[in-house]
Amino acid sequence: MMKAPLATVLVLLVCAFSGCAFDLVSVKQMPVTLTTDLGGDQSIMLAEAATVSIGTSFPVHLKANTVWQKIGRTEFGDAYTSKDQVLTVEASNIHEAALVVKEDSVTGFYLLLEKKFCPASSPVKINLNKKI
Amino acid sequence: MKNKLLIALLALTTIVFSGCASGPSYSAYRSNIPQLAPEKGRIYFYRTSVLGAAVQPAVRVNGSEVGSSTPKGFFYYDCAPGEYVVETSTEVTRKLSLVMAKGQERYVRLNISMGFFVGHVYPELVDNSVGTAEIEKCNYTGVKNSQ
Repeated sequence: MMKAPLATVLVLLVCAFSGCAFDLVSVKQMPVTLTTDLGGDQSIMLAEAATVSIGTSFPVHLKANTVWQKIGRTEFGDAYTSKDQVLTVEASNIHEAALVVKEDSVTGFYLLLEKKFCPASSPVKINLNKKI
Repeated sequence: MKNKLLIALLALTTIVFSGCASGPSYSAYRSNIPQLAPEKGRIYFYRTSVLGAAVQPAVRVNGSEVGSSTPKGFFYYDCAPGEYVVETSTEVTRKLSLVMAKGQERYVRLNISMGFFVGHVYPELVDNSVGTAEIEKCNYTGVKNSQ
């Protein structure tokens, strides 16, 4: 007698979740234009480690003493990539990204394949050693 | 009683490891890996964890199957420079988007996480220093496809 309700609950659970995509969290993506304007600092060095939240459970960790090369300019700041560190932003999926910096603060990330901007929850001031 | 426990332990160990890669180790196979063609890039895929050994979804790159996520296994995929999406699917599809340059070698670790009915395998791009160290513990599973 007790087995029937258990089976019902199991069937209900299967029905409830069988259509579930599980893809519950996406990184925020905003339209952006990347221009190959390489004026200003061509490369920067992060003097100290920093952590940038993007509103998911996966904050982005930036390592100290990494050198970042400018790849262009966006309306949210200059975009940089590094050979010293793989940079990705993560929610349910993972996206390779470039660091976007404006006035010594990380404003977010430029998604290299999607060509979209993923904003930081709030700008994070970083300690830079500017190089020529 | 002891024998039963031993048999159960043996059965459990067999179940856990039966799905593991059985090819040559990375260090033994390394000399057989061809030099990367100058106009191409190479992605190494590897899985260090034996957790959820029965869960071995195919690894797809831009929709084409290039290998499988065998526990303790590795394989590589040579590709033209460009944009790539790596996918693994169980009850859910996990994606990694990355950009490959000419002559570049990169490492994608296939991680496993908890799922509702089945574990989820998700691809993660890691630093080359991490990838080169971790792949040493893996065995070659074979190349399915290269671009």
